[in-house]
Amino acid sequence: MSLIELQALLPQLILALGGTGVLILGAWVPNRRLWLMVGMALALLAALTAGVLEPPLTEVARMYATSPYARFCTVLWSVIIAATMLLSRRYADLHRFGGGEYASLLLFAGAGMSLLSAATSLVGLFLGLEAFTLVLYILIAFNRTDNRGAEAGLKYLVFGAVATGFLAFGIALIYAATGSFHFHEALAGLQLNGTLRPLGLAGWAMLLVAIGFKISLVPFHLWTPDVYQGAPAPISGLLATASKGAVVTALLPLLSGLGSAGGDVKQVIWLLAVLTMLVGTLAALPQTNLKRMLAYSSVVHMGYLMIALLAGGKVGGQALLFYIVVYSLATFGAFGVVTSLALENEEIQEYDEMQGLGYLHPRRSSALSAFLLSLAGIPPLAGFFGKFGIFQAALRNGYPELAVIGILTSLVSLYYYLRPIIVLFMQERSAYQFREGCKEEFILLASCFAAILIFGVYPGPLLDLVAQILP
Amino acid sequence: MTPDTPIQLPFLSLLLWLPLAGTLLCLIWRKSPNACRWLALGSTTLVLVISVALAFSLHSGSGGWLLYEDVSWIEAYGIRYTLGMDGISLLLILLTAFLQVIAVLISWDMRHHPALFFALVLVLETGIIGVFLALDLVLFYLFWELMLIPMFFLIGVWGHDRRVYAAVKFFFFTLAGSLLLLLALISLYLVHGEQTGNYTFALAALKQTELSFSQEMLFYLCFMAAFAVKVPLFPFHTWLPDAHTEAPAAGSVDLAGLLLKTGVYGMIRFAFPLFPLAAQKSLPVLAVLALIGLFYAAWVAYLQFDIKRIVAYSSISHLGFVILGLAAWTQTSWEGSVLLMINHGVTTGALFVMIAMIRQRTETREVDLLGGLWKTQPNLSAFFLLFCLASLGLPGLANFAGEFLILIGVFKVHPVWGGIAVGGVLFAAAYMLRLVQETIWGPSCEPLHRQDLNGREWLILVPLALLVIWLGCYPLPALEPLREPVRMLLLGGHP
Repeated sequence: MSLIELQALLPQLILALGGTGVLILGAWVPNRRLWLMVGMALALLAALTAGVLEPPLTEVARMYATSPYARFCTVLWSVIIAATMLLSRRYADLHRFGGGEYASLLLFAGAGMSLLSAATSLVGLFLGLEAFTLVLYILIAFNRTDNRGAEAGLKYLVFGAVATGFLAFGIALIYAATGSFHFHEALAGLQLNGTLRPLGLAGWAMLLVAIGFKISLVPFHLWTPDVYQGAPAPISGLLATASKGAVVTALLPLLSGLGSAGGDVKQVIWLLAVLTMLVGTLAALPQTNLKRMLAYSSVVHMGYLMIALLAGGKVGGQALLFYIVVYSLATFGAFGVVTSLALENEEIQEYDEMQGLGYLHPRRSSALSAFLLSLAGIPPLAGFFGKFGIFQAALRNGYPELAVIGILTSLVSLYYYLRPIIVLFMQERSAYQFREGCKEEFILLASCFAAILIFGVYPGPLLDLVAQILP
Repeated sequence: MTPDTPIQLPFLSLLLWLPLAGTLLCLIWRKSPNACRWLALGSTTLVLVISVALAFSLHSGSGGWLLYEDVSWIEAYGIRYTLGMDGISLLLILLTAFLQVIAVLISWDMRHHPALFFALVLVLETGIIGVFLALDLVLFYLFWELMLIPMFFLIGVWGHDRRVYAAVKFFFFTLAGSLLLLLALISLYLVHGEQTGNYTFALAALKQTELSFSQEMLFYLCFMAAFAVKVPLFPFHTWLPDAHTEAPAAGSVDLAGLLLKTGVYGMIRFAFPLFPLAAQKSLPVLAVLALIGLFYAAWVAYLQFDIKRIVAYSSISHLGFVILGLAAWTQTSWEGSVLLMINHGVTTGALFVMIAMIRQRTETREVDLLGGLWKTQPNLSAFFLLFCLASLGLPGLANFAGEFLILIGVFKVHPVWGGIAVGGVLFAAAYMLRLVQETIWGPSCEPLHRQDLNGREWLILVPLALLVIWLGCYPLPALEPLREPVRMLLLGGHP
């Protein structure tokens, strides 16, 4: 690997080498706060280099692209990683997380996600995906005294291992059919007279199963609520946003590379999208636990993302990326509120424990309400233009039925998004007294809140940006 | 279209965003209830002053837009920030500004989280004014939805016993309609874009879209679903009695006085002009639903025991009248409909204010437990009588002028509809007289607080009463600004 190639991969190198450095030095200097701050600085530095520096190459080792698209995703995931560390500051103190390893694992996760979104070959895709999934196994079970955390980690591990198997097998099939790992050649080689070859179809089926597990499409979603509930709240936020977003952004070039031959694959995704929206919505309705509800809500939102993916083209891609950003802001913010309300030995997740909290902690409760309303797609919050873009793309590119189903599920979804708000503001206060939030948490929540408000009122610049960087 | 008078300041934006600025200040000074109160009063009064000043300074009799603002906003989707005010919007905004001042005054003693309360009332005002001004479909939709959240909280937090149920019901009914509207307006945008290559949400441009009849009907029905729920037209009305009854006083005033009007406004500004053929076809159905609503709601109102529910059902009945006037599709009946909207806003707003005052004194809204208020509270009862008489359509008081114009217009083209509708006036008399009889006359119940009206209450009631009498005796100033806009809407609506 030449120097120039290393330079092209600089953001990912900062994340990975930084993670290694923090891990080693963390063993000598056990200072939790210091390492979180250093980790955050490194993640932001990676985001900055990805956003500012002009890459000298367009592709590294025929595995990873340095396109504006890849760079945009790198910025996004690095910022989310930095936000996770900011959010974890007090949470890590409360739960006595190990000093350097927490920050270093998060940095590794960021490197993996960023590589995954940049992948231009199937091997690159596999490596990126496994790099951050492995790290997440540990992070989910990071709270060693919590049985639910251990359960969640194990569940994620088992499902993840199965998904890895499917992914490897799918890649092997595609390689067997085409003799190439590179997206362009592999995808072109799979096509015969405008349709997919049988081997390619089988390979794609395996790929879709693996991806379905990772982004919890129905019927591969069963692990989601348990894992989100058991994982530490900041990690649940990361799981629901960056880890899913990275997989979806990797799927976008894969699917568009298929072109018109992707008809059969698209039919499967269509079915998955419909199932995901309907089942996810129905499953979210009876939830009385905020984290579980958010888990099912993330399932439903993955269904919406599949609509944008199917719609494809410029409008679809634009809607997809915009939606990922606004969805991530709102979901991460919601998990941020859960983090901020957490006590020393447990997290406040059940609605019963939150009654009347709106008047005790007005700022955090209003922020949570805003995040939930944004997820529901109520203007003037950013979620509205997200959904607007997706439905618009679906109608334009010939998927009116998906738009109708999406609108219907949005309507029903309001029921479960309003429920926490009702509990917070319209019920008598229960006797609980919670922790005051800390400065870092407020900074994070305020930025998320400001962002969903700004993107909700003035989404123009972000829309233009994502339209420009589409591959 | 350009403004008739070149005015430098963006007055429309000022009207629109002033209340929101008040909201922010309220949230900043949330520790002091007194500051919030005065802030809310200050910003609502300022909006009222500006809108009254605009009404006097603009040559309001002309057609076209009196004021117009147009700025590029979200270019990626062709969405613009377009505001326009004609005579109809002007009147509705005057009504909004006036009723909001009343709503703030009536909630002056709010003890339960006053800062949040006033902040929400002000957000609501921005939403309503935005609906009356927006000329870009997405902008309109944004304001349309913006009304939803504050109302949801107003009902859900400050409402009465079954407030959460009523709030959720309100939210779901209106949102179900709105989402259909969203679907239809995106489809219309795409059809227009494919035809002309110009992807835009501007009302004026979308009017030119060529649609097949089935498309037009489908879109029209989706639009009307949103508006009919808000009005509410007969089979979509079930959210209204609950929402009105459970809402706090200011919420009821805003709901009945303003939110219902946004539905009618949506029909005349958007649904009819965008889909003229479908609209024409639907008029008989609309008229039948309006008549059913008129009688059904009046009958149900007669059977109610809760005075707030009586007034709530009377709203459905009156709005049936308004829709009947629109369905007749004549200049006179349309003018009557818009006028009746204003009248109804004032009289029903006043009635809800009075009910809140009665409840404060007697701690009940049950007809059976009330009675004989005249003996202890003569001033209050006199006002109540006045507003009830206005509401039943007594000549010389507000509602009469509107109803009369509607009836004239309807008789011209559909004498049968008119004949049936006259019966509705009779029904109104029946339930209103029952309401008056059972509350202010009859055997006296001991009111808990014997004090008659205090200064603040005089301040609320006197302007309302003056307005009711003025609109009844001399409605011409309110009719003049309507003439040209209505004529143009009727022309633009016709194929």
